[in-house]
Amino acid sequence: MSGGPKGGGGPLLAWACIMLALGAMLAIWSEGDASSLLFLVGAIPLLALSGWNRARPAPGGPRLLARVSVPVVVTALGATLAAIGLTGGLWLILVGGEVALFGLVWLAREVTLERRGVGR
Amino acid sequence: MAGSAPVAVDADRGAALERGFAWLAATDHKKTAAKVGIASLFFFGLSGLLALTMRAELAQPGLQFVSDHTYDELFTMHGSGMIYLFLTPAALGLGLYLVPLQIGASEIAAPRLALFGFWIYLAGGLTMYSGFFTNSGAGDDSWTATIPLSNSTGSPGVGMDLWVIGVALAVLGSLLIGICILLTILRLRAPGMTMLRMPVFSWTMLATVFMVVASFPVLVVAMGLLLAERHLGGVFTGSTGSIVYQHLFWFYGHPVVYVMFFPFVGAVGEAVATFSRKRFFGYRALVVSLLFFTALSMAVWGHHMFITGAVRNQYYSLTSQLLAVPAGIEYLDLIATMIGGAIVFRAPMLFALGFILQFLLGGLTGIILASPPLDYHVNGSYFVVAHFHYTLFAGSLFGLLAGLHFWFPKATGAMLRERLAKVSFWVLMVGANLTFFPMFFLGYDGMPRRVPDYEPRLGDLNLLATIGAGVIALGVLLVLINLFVSLRRREPAGNDPWGAQTLEWWTTSPPPRDNFTSLPEITSYAPLLDRLEAAEEERERRGAEVPA
Repeated sequence: MSGGPKGGGGPLLAWACIMLALGAMLAIWSEGDASSLLFLVGAIPLLALSGWNRARPAPGGPRLLARVSVPVVVTALGATLAAIGLTGGLWLILVGGEVALFGLVWLAREVTLERRGVGR
Repeated sequence: MAGSAPVAVDADRGAALERGFAWLAATDHKKTAAKVGIASLFFFGLSGLLALTMRAELAQPGLQFVSDHTYDELFTMHGSGMIYLFLTPAALGLGLYLVPLQIGASEIAAPRLALFGFWIYLAGGLTMYSGFFTNSGAGDDSWTATIPLSNSTGSPGVGMDLWVIGVALAVLGSLLIGICILLTILRLRAPGMTMLRMPVFSWTMLATVFMVVASFPVLVVAMGLLLAERHLGGVFTGSTGSIVYQHLFWFYGHPVVYVMFFPFVGAVGEAVATFSRKRFFGYRALVVSLLFFTALSMAVWGHHMFITGAVRNQYYSLTSQLLAVPAGIEYLDLIATMIGGAIVFRAPMLFALGFILQFLLGGLTGIILASPPLDYHVNGSYFVVAHFHYTLFAGSLFGLLAGLHFWFPKATGAMLRERLAKVSFWVLMVGANLTFFPMFFLGYDGMPRRVPDYEPRLGDLNLLATIGAGVIALGVLLVLINLFVSLRRREPAGNDPWGAQTLEWWTTSPPPRDNFTSLPEITSYAPLLDRLEAAEEERERRGAEVPA
């Protein structure tokens, strides 16, 4: 394979431009009301994604990937506990944070082993 | 030797447990999508039970068996559950399962991120519902959590905090799944699968994830700010505080309606083309209309704020009315696909027709709400409840059921029982209209939403709606029985039981781990139909050659 698909960013760019046009229309009509800035919030991630997709096309070809990823589940559990800690107290934030950190380190190790597998 | 059998059973149990854990942490997009589907069905059941409790309370005027505060919790958790935990994730879960199959990809992009998204969404849902176990009760300020009702004075207690955190987690989870679908479409399409050869459903998913990526982060931020307001104060204060919150909320709150709608338009489109035995009419017009539809749907949030007097009503009214143009194009495409076709009324087609008819009623009453003077009259009334239940229940849920009945054989390798499916369709049709149609009149006669009591003159219509809710529950039960029976006593489906058109029907049912062992040549959005037509042409050509 010579690489992944091309051209997917076109609709993204078109759509982001329509968003910006609608935002400009609202800004003019509402004489600079700050709410029109929300359109920028919406359009910017899509413009960035479109640019990234153009700059770094998908490599194509097969990928080696763990079929089961327990560290992802551990990280999600930790993140949830930490989030609930925002109302449950600092101790829960710390416990959740530690679990999430443990999951992330485990995940990094899993990804490293995968890449080594590809290298072989 | 007597001890050997229990050991074997334990070993089996151990292996089953291991398989269960492996399934929960599997990165395969089909398994992640199945997890999302099961979780969303679970939350649908919970939120549906809350709705039945509300309708039971509303069967007669006066307070029957819930207090004002309990009723607040019921409608808050019903709406929140249906929107954040059922329809949005179900729509994205359908895309997570089908988009890679439809575009010829062997996997989803960033599968770990999708798995993380699922777990965060599930945890968010459980966090929201855990509020029922706190002293203050669950969230009680409707699914919009409008300021100042949702601040620490209006809704004190940890239950509302858990609601805010749960919503942020659930929406973040949906956002991550949406990002994975978008990246898959951009970067993992099969050779030959250009953007304008993507099936209709995949295009509707692309439009959906545009809105997800653009609007969902705003709600996550809004929930963070709301939590800060509740604990620290000073965020949404002053005369403009509640307006700023409403802008942030509705910038998410309106597009999410389309997130819960577009994928089912795609599902209905696939079912209509397949069971009309025709190519989808006006494919390119649909693609362009989808892009405008999604962009416009991001530009109408202010129509939820007409009565605040703090938005430019003309702008939001204009953009809201303009939505009728791309919606009209999509309806034209669906109807024109059926015209002249050899329509087969299988269960997915019936649900698709149910969607088309009932969503029309939801859409048309939306035009009334897009007009500020009319909106002033019906805002906050049961008219609005009827409108959005026609779009989301009688519309989107029927679209989801069309998709479920259409793709169930592909996902499981088993056919659903056709007769039971048709019975459940008619029961749901009767139930939906019996429940929600009277609400238009209730609202127009002045019955406010979100109240457990009402004037006695409105009793008959409310009783009718309550009976309808019971009929809906029966219909849902029939669907669940059908799923259960069809999985227990399987009737093999084969690769393509419908004579369908798109790539997912090329592979086995259920698809293998990497989705495809081979791919046909892709020259349009309906490669299987292309092959069928080419084979027919070849047969005709040979038939013409033989006499000569």
